[in-house]
Amino acid sequence: MQFSTITEELQVTEFRKGIERELEAFFEAKGYRLIQPRIFQGYDSFVCSNLRQDSSKTVKVLGGDSRIFILRPDITTNILHQIFSKWEGSPPLKVYYNSKIYRNQPAGGILEHYQMGVESLGEDSLKGDQEMIEMAAALMGTLGEPFIIELGSSKYLDGFFKELDLDLETEGVLRDLISKKNRDGLRRRVRALGLEDTVLSTILEMEGNMESVLDRAKSYERNDEMMAALDELEGLREFFSTRALLRNIHFDLSMMPDLDYYDGIIFKGYALNTPKKILSGGRYDRLTQRFGKTVSAIGFMLDMDLVTRIRIKGEA
Amino acid sequence: MDRITIALAKGRLGEQGLELFKNTDMEILREEDSRKLVFKNAREQITYIFVKPSDVVTYVEKGVADLGIVGKDVILEENKDVYELLDLDFGHCRFAVAGFKDQQIAKKNEVLRIASKYPRYVEQVFRDRGQKIEIIKLGGSVELAPLIGLSDVIVDIVETGSTLRDNGLVILEELDPISARLIVNKVSYRFKFEAIQRIEKLLGGI
Repeated sequence: MQFSTITEELQVTEFRKGIERELEAFFEAKGYRLIQPRIFQGYDSFVCSNLRQDSSKTVKVLGGDSRIFILRPDITTNILHQIFSKWEGSPPLKVYYNSKIYRNQPAGGILEHYQMGVESLGEDSLKGDQEMIEMAAALMGTLGEPFIIELGSSKYLDGFFKELDLDLETEGVLRDLISKKNRDGLRRRVRALGLEDTVLSTILEMEGNMESVLDRAKSYERNDEMMAALDELEGLREFFSTRALLRNIHFDLSMMPDLDYYDGIIFKGYALNTPKKILSGGRYDRLTQRFGKTVSAIGFMLDMDLVTRIRIKGEA
Repeated sequence: MDRITIALAKGRLGEQGLELFKNTDMEILREEDSRKLVFKNAREQITYIFVKPSDVVTYVEKGVADLGIVGKDVILEENKDVYELLDLDFGHCRFAVAGFKDQQIAKKNEVLRIASKYPRYVEQVFRDRGQKIEIIKLGGSVELAPLIGLSDVIVDIVETGSTLRDNGLVILEELDPISARLIVNKVSYRFKFEAIQRIEKLLGGI
């Protein structure tokens, strides 16, 4: 945020600090403990482990011995490095962070981006999923605006595509069409590939009421991974069905993950009159594999710049 | 029904888009020869704003407009984070590489100079071809560039090809097909789902 006077800046900082304290107390009451991510990461290991990410967006720093470092571009992988290098391994481990990430902007500057978030490692999967969605909804509820949690699962379509075994490019095109909800383009592609009988022909209608979507999804042929994804979601639906929360959840089985390490439920939080996602997260068990040990893992982050802006507007 | 704002590309595409709302309760109220850029329907639930084609995508991405009607060419060039709900099946044309007859698009070891109004699209098309290119961004009259030696070829949208022919150019390679699309802001899509679905149906969707 930019300010015209120092008084204004101090006021906003004070206000935001108040929100941070509130959130910290909220996370701590839920048994989460503060973790401070490191600001520098090795460039080489970042490039090796994030092949699909655009490394030109990371901010590089030259160390004294001419080694290249980057300012942390995301917090989750950063924290996982920190944890797995010295974890005694008695799960569950629950942490929260209050931190910034750094990215190069197309126009030349460096973008600082405020985030708070949580990561829960080694918790029972279903319990972890439930807790995350509940916390996400509780936090969205503090914004004072009507909100929606968009919920999906990356595992379902992952399982589908794995079985189909298309070449990477075709799969990429199909995923892109799905993520843009480009129904006409998808229909043409699906026809050209002879996949009309698969879930691809109706995937974009697989949204709305969780129960009916899950029922419809079950009518399609499915493999173990897709089945597991649907079972997980069914478990969540049962849990939510007794809670008022269900009203705020919009289910969408065609949701595509923003990050390719998600492999389970994914969710985003939107508030009325804010045209960007405020909260986003998901399950990433697969990512922990890379650090030498597979544990159940889920987390989400909150865009603190947006949260502050919305709450200030609400005060006025 | 929720209030909805629709951004339309100024010019022929936007006018054709408005035709789709004619004789419905969403029909626009507009005085003749007005220079106003904002209009509403009779019940004032729908606001139509007229903007430059390339800005339609920006308006929708930033959420000041919920929906937009714009050509696929602009969507490909701007590459913004919006849903592309519907192919409206008008404004058909296609992207093409054009130049003089027998002009080679693959030039060994030489830089191919391409004039275009769509620099990012050109960059993306040629990215994996191993051909060195120089993109010359122009605002209009792109066909002129090869004639006066500013570029070797052009990348532009071609409808009938008559402008090319009149300037002695031919299509060297056909690229993506273009038509008008209905785009939607991702957050509006969630909050105004029913209204958007209604409009989608009206415009010829499911």
